[in-house]
Amino acid sequence: MTSAASRRLLQHGMLPQPTHDEQARQAFVTSFRGHLAAKVAPGAKPVYERRARPLFASQHGREPRDQHDVRRALEADPYYQFWSAMQRRSQELMWEAVIDPTERNWTQLVNRARASNTSRAGSSGSLELDPTLEVPRYHTAVDIHLQPGGYHTDFGADDVAAGAIYDRALNIYLNGALGPRNALMGETLLGFFRDRWPQRAPRRILDMGCAIGNSTLPWAEAFPAAEVHAIDVGAPVLRYAHARACEFGVPVHFSQQNAERTHYRTGSFDLIVSHIMLHETSKSALGNILSECHRLLTPGGLMLHLEIPRGSTPLEKFLFNWEAYNNNETFGAHMTEVDLPAIARRAGFDAPAVIKHRIERAPEQQLYSSETVWNVLTAQR
Amino acid sequence: MKTRSKGKATASSQTTKARKTTGKRPKSAPEANATAPRLARVAKGKRPQYFSDPAIDKILWITLTLCEELSVTRDRLDTVERLLEKRRVLKVSDVEHYRPDDKTEALREQRRAVYIDRVLRAVSAELEELAGRAEAPPLEEVIAAVES
Repeated sequence: MTSAASRRLLQHGMLPQPTHDEQARQAFVTSFRGHLAAKVAPGAKPVYERRARPLFASQHGREPRDQHDVRRALEADPYYQFWSAMQRRSQELMWEAVIDPTERNWTQLVNRARASNTSRAGSSGSLELDPTLEVPRYHTAVDIHLQPGGYHTDFGADDVAAGAIYDRALNIYLNGALGPRNALMGETLLGFFRDRWPQRAPRRILDMGCAIGNSTLPWAEAFPAAEVHAIDVGAPVLRYAHARACEFGVPVHFSQQNAERTHYRTGSFDLIVSHIMLHETSKSALGNILSECHRLLTPGGLMLHLEIPRGSTPLEKFLFNWEAYNNNETFGAHMTEVDLPAIARRAGFDAPAVIKHRIERAPEQQLYSSETVWNVLTAQR
Repeated sequence: MKTRSKGKATASSQTTKARKTTGKRPKSAPEANATAPRLARVAKGKRPQYFSDPAIDKILWITLTLCEELSVTRDRLDTVERLLEKRRVLKVSDVEHYRPDDKTEALREQRRAVYIDRVLRAVSAELEELAGRAEAPPLEEVIAAVES
């Protein structure tokens, strides 16, 4: 087990200060989720093999063929029912435990964000919001990950709550696996980039679907000479992202734009990245986003999209899609079957590839699988 | 084509005041924010039903929340014990080695019995009904009794 200190989020001025009991609630949810991940979720496999699968075979006169058959088999199993119901509740408890202190600290957080937007503007990146932007339906139909209000809802003027909530919850969600600044995904993709293109120093970088900018900052820190832009459709997460970047003193230009059609000029960037964004979009958006990447890249420019693997066996595919059916990650299920390189080729890229990238993770920080592998959709213009 | 009417999210009139109030780290003690909005606690989207009876889903929901609150209470008690030790009021080991005297133990036993009765009433109520003590006439009769 990793030490509690190594899993703790680094305190900064935009993180709400929890009371004793609020902190204890967050600690409970962390422990509870860690228990579910390390002790309960792994039981799904033997339960399926020894109980649910044989029962399905005897009832249907055939073996389960795909993840949908696995779903039918497991949803009737009491172990799966209990695990799922607890996993679902753990996610709801997580948001509740984080929303309480955010609501209590709301005014201070909004004021601090307002101050950082003016006092340090220019020296520390920028923030541009577009009140006319239509938040796409794949964000508004249901609240993604069960975060009440999603990434996009303003509960008051100049709201930053969605960002503050997301920052703390991300740490609880994966038991601190993303590190003290929730930066692991950015660092992972950065490591991938440096391994393969050690000579490259990008001059203009775009991070798509940046949310609170937790994955953006490692890029800006690694390439201080580069101009780093980050876009998202959600206003509250962007206000938070900019204020948070100011707290860390990292200059990033945040703006509210839809990655399907940005207002940047053709050939604006030599590197475009995203961190587990694609599976939160839609079938049509996926094609639009990759086409937009092609338009925005300079000749020879790279796009790197970090994605969650979707499993290989029917059981794995079903388990990875637990979030699709139970955690409002609706498009995730579609991503299991999607041929990303084919879509990238249609968008104009010559030799796109999905490359597997393996990282280490403690059992209580794992989800649905004993090994942690990322997929990176990689293509050069 | 998208309208490009964008601007800084900040209202400059509010900024001077904001700077003054945010110079210090916000206090962690609960304080009322008259202007703060109420944030949503329930996510948009249909909640799956995991068990054959939706009541079981609700009961597990409640049980896990109670589980959380018990954990919070234990953490708080632990904090109190540690603070008392730090201020030399008692040692945590005093709590560990504490043995109640007969009078205290008798009071505790009594309290525990009442507590267990209360928690397990769902079970005992069924027995009471079987024994006929709590047996009630059919609802129609009860309604007739109060309406006459």
